[in-house]
Amino acid sequence: MNNPKILIVDDEDAIRKFLYVTLTSQSYTVIEAKRGNDALSAAATYKPDTIVLDLGLPDIDGIEVTRLIRQWSHVPIIILSVRGSEKDKIAALDAGADDYLTKPFGVGELLARLRAALRRITQTNEEPIFTSGKLKVDLAQRIVTLSDNEIQLTPNEYELLRVLVSNVGRVLTHRSLLRTVWGLEYGDEIHMLHVNISNLRRKIETDPARPQFIITEPGVGYRFRLKDNN
Amino acid sequence: MYTINELKEWIKQERNLIQPEWGNWRGYTQGLLLVVLATILGRLLLNLFSPANMVMFYLICVTVTAISWGLVPSILVSLLSVLAFDFFLIPPYFTFTVADTQYIFTFIVLFLVGIVISYLTTRVRQQTEIARHHEREVTALYALGRDLVGLSNLESYVHAIIKRVKETLSHDVVIFLPENNTKGSFQTYTDSSGITIGKNELSVARWTFQNKKPAGFNTDTFPDAKAWYLPLVTARGSIGVIALWSTASTDKVTEEQERLMEAYTDLTAVAIEGIRLADELHDTQVLKATEKLQTALLNAISHDLRTPLVSIIGALSSLQEEEMNLNTIVKENLIQVACDEADRLNHLITNLLDESRIEAGAITLSRQPSEIHDLIGAALEQLGNRSRTRNININIPAEIPFISVDFGLIVQTFVNIMDNAIKYSSPDSLIEINVHYIAPEVIVEIIDRGIGVPEQDLQHIFDKFYRIKRPDNVGGTGLGLSISKGIIEAHNGHIEAKNRPGGGTIISITLPVVETKPYNVEKSNEQS
Repeated sequence: MNNPKILIVDDEDAIRKFLYVTLTSQSYTVIEAKRGNDALSAAATYKPDTIVLDLGLPDIDGIEVTRLIRQWSHVPIIILSVRGSEKDKIAALDAGADDYLTKPFGVGELLARLRAALRRITQTNEEPIFTSGKLKVDLAQRIVTLSDNEIQLTPNEYELLRVLVSNVGRVLTHRSLLRTVWGLEYGDEIHMLHVNISNLRRKIETDPARPQFIITEPGVGYRFRLKDNN
Repeated sequence: MYTINELKEWIKQERNLIQPEWGNWRGYTQGLLLVVLATILGRLLLNLFSPANMVMFYLICVTVTAISWGLVPSILVSLLSVLAFDFFLIPPYFTFTVADTQYIFTFIVLFLVGIVISYLTTRVRQQTEIARHHEREVTALYALGRDLVGLSNLESYVHAIIKRVKETLSHDVVIFLPENNTKGSFQTYTDSSGITIGKNELSVARWTFQNKKPAGFNTDTFPDAKAWYLPLVTARGSIGVIALWSTASTDKVTEEQERLMEAYTDLTAVAIEGIRLADELHDTQVLKATEKLQTALLNAISHDLRTPLVSIIGALSSLQEEEMNLNTIVKENLIQVACDEADRLNHLITNLLDESRIEAGAITLSRQPSEIHDLIGAALEQLGNRSRTRNININIPAEIPFISVDFGLIVQTFVNIMDNAIKYSSPDSLIEINVHYIAPEVIVEIIDRGIGVPEQDLQHIFDKFYRIKRPDNVGGTGLGLSISKGIIEAHNGHIEAKNRPGGGTIISITLPVVETKPYNVEKSNEQS
């Protein structure tokens, strides 16, 4: 994809300016919007590849903007906000946001999240083999290997890993993971999720206390981190 | 012997001691009947007894009347007895004339003895009555006092009082307490649903409150009101009004009820005042602590927040100056300094916000079963590069239960403590994280080979804004550990600092496991 289009929505001029400089230097095309309503029309007009959205907008709240965009588009939405509480994060993610970065953030982190978001939209269902570092997940044959050694996973562990890698880079809330892997009625069985994640980490992570693949978003959920050096 | 003045004084005291009892019409008629009976008996036994002994019959009449019907009827009976004795039993009969003048003396003695008997009997009876009243009052007050033990807020106090007064006096009860912010308006409390408090009733309550005098149906002020209003008065003035609602059958209260009500009123006033004072004390303490925090915050802003900005602005402006001709290494150094200081500034602000949130009691725990690996991993992840560049040794036993904690807050605690361990130890030294499980608690020890903590500072390092005086000033607000302590204690856990033998610091955090429901992994895996 040539020059992916990023829509930046933030009412702070300084932040927009800094993001503009940074992202254009990484050869992204940047569109800017100051307000929620501008963001909605820009999203419809320019069809950006990813939206970077602030929550505290002067007219409509960012969570509402997310909800409105989600009614007609699957474009990845990355939230950038000073609101750092778990409740705010979960609310934004439940409204349909893909990722959440708390301000202030490092540019490296933002670029990594952007790359992950863009990779998701380009590779949907096309590549049956997912690779990250030494980990390989063959989604067609349901085979997981770490440094070419096959790893035995229980059906639930495999399903959990499959959901995580097919949403690589995206924060999945506890509830959404439980509902996707186990079913709608398991939405509150957080303990069950933790136990399975813990077992999965023991099998695929070199050091389960310092996981490299499955990253905990404290109080919110989990995210599969894409390792760039593959 | 008494002097006249002493006697007068005594009579005055005695008069206060007993209440004149007028009795009712039945007392008078029955007293009269007794005198008639005594006279008939006297007539029948006229030949057997001497008239002087007949006096005894009359004395019995007086005693019975005094015991049964009160003071005034018995005095009247004494008088009647003298007259009847004279008229029927002293010759010449059926006339008040007396043949033998010595009987005049008998009459006087009979009358005086009658009065003394009346008086003494009445006094004994009234004192018994008073004692019984007192006992009832004490029992009622004791019951209320017992009701109030263990209650801690105004609302529950007021409702306990209303319930007890209503039960004892069988009248509906309303308590009016002035609202703090609006002058002249009342918060009303009652547990009787049928009561409507109209404008008139409210204005009577207000009158009572302002004048500190009873009003309403049992008094001369607003006698048409539906309730009897009593002010709740303490040394600090009027604090409210208690009202006894009239019932459908009567709008009178008995003397006993009245006294009980007065006792209840005193106790209620004291109880409400007590709880108000406790609240105020608490508020004052919170206010003081808040003021202290604000002062410290200002100090922090003026110094600690500005210091990183000095470096950031300095570094950035150096980079901006083209004529400085900086080489690449210097530039990179400047950029590194600016980044580090910006991180520090961010950390400081986060800590200040958290501290004020803990102060305000705005932090609520959302506990979820958490794995200790995960908590430590998330903390290391948050520390980012600072943890990656250090050699950190993690020892977690294989068999360790999940602990029920607020994930985000505990991670933050670990971040704060690991950050200190990293900051205050040399970059090549080892940091250890040891986890132990001693049921029912999990203990996490974060151990460094750093500079340690002077012995006299050990017990203070968890205090707010406490910073160890060191020559090499490493940045910090003195808030990280105080926040950590707040968070751990909110989890009913415990945090302490020790010096490590051979140099360094051991921070040990003890957290209760808190039973979570047992979970069978295999079973859940079969379900899919």
